[in-house]
Amino acid sequence: MSEISCDEVLHEIEHYLHGELGQQQSSRLATHLEGCGPCFERAEFQRKLKEIVRDKCRCETPEHVVLRIQQAIRLEGEFE
Amino acid sequence: MPSRCDVEPEAKRAKTELTERFERDALPLLPGMYSAAFRLTRNASDAEDLLQETFLRAYRGFHQFQEGTNLKAWLYRILTNTFINSYRKKQREPLTISDDEVEDWYLYSKMREEGLEPSAEATVLESLPDEDVQEALSSLPEQFRVAVLLADVEGFSYKEIAEITAVPIGTVMSRLHRGRKALERRLWDVVRERGLVRD
Ligand SMILES: [Zn+2]
Repeated sequence: MSEISCDEVLHEIEHYLHGELGQQQSSRLATHLEGCGPCFERAEFQRKLKEIVRDKCRCETPEHVVLRIQQAIRLEGEFE
Repeated sequence: MPSRCDVEPEAKRAKTELTERFERDALPLLPGMYSAAFRLTRNASDAEDLLQETFLRAYRGFHQFQEGTNLKAWLYRILTNTFINSYRKKQREPLTISDDEVEDWYLYSKMREEGLEPSAEATVLESLPDEDVQEALSSLPEQFRVAVLLADVEGFSYKEIAEITAVPIGTVMSRLHRGRKALERRLWDVVRERGLVRD
């Protein structure tokens, strides 16, 4: 398996964390991250940030809105 | 004289089946779509209207949906299109992200300059109020907001985002990269405004 440089790892980390790399490239990065402290730290930071953005920006549709929309669809079905 | 229902029993049965399929397959995705509607419209009442219109359009067009293809992506495509056509504020929003807003490892470097340890970095970001992070995302120019929202909040793949937004995958990647970097910059502003690091 060929070596991969820190530059290449950091360049591709965004795609790696999103699961967008092919299996081979993905495992090359994983191997590098296991052995390289500075890259690992940056990757972890980026992963954590992504997680925080997701958790803080997600919210469920309020129950009354779900009911309202279900009702609207039922009406649409009946009177079309 | 036969009632209206008796005239076309076939059509009626097909319609009932379609409605049942819509209720079984599409409606369960409704609870998860509020954040996207809210991040796009930036207020609760528009978000509710946008969601309702999205689902009504989806219901009316459901006979065109190919069973077995990506229903979630299909619904988000209708959501995005409905937003762009009806809800987008025709205001002087910036359309692009300037090059100096796109700096690799911006947030990471800023936190390092503050002397924060890796474990403390996450704690600082976690302590940000949800509304601040939501507002930071909502403040990105539309194309970039949509890309980051679909990828990092909704978890769609690049390919799915390309389908939803009808642009080439290379464009998706570029919007995502710039959008994510600009978001880091805005988050850093919030961290400073909130006094979470010494200035
Ligand atoms: Zn490295």
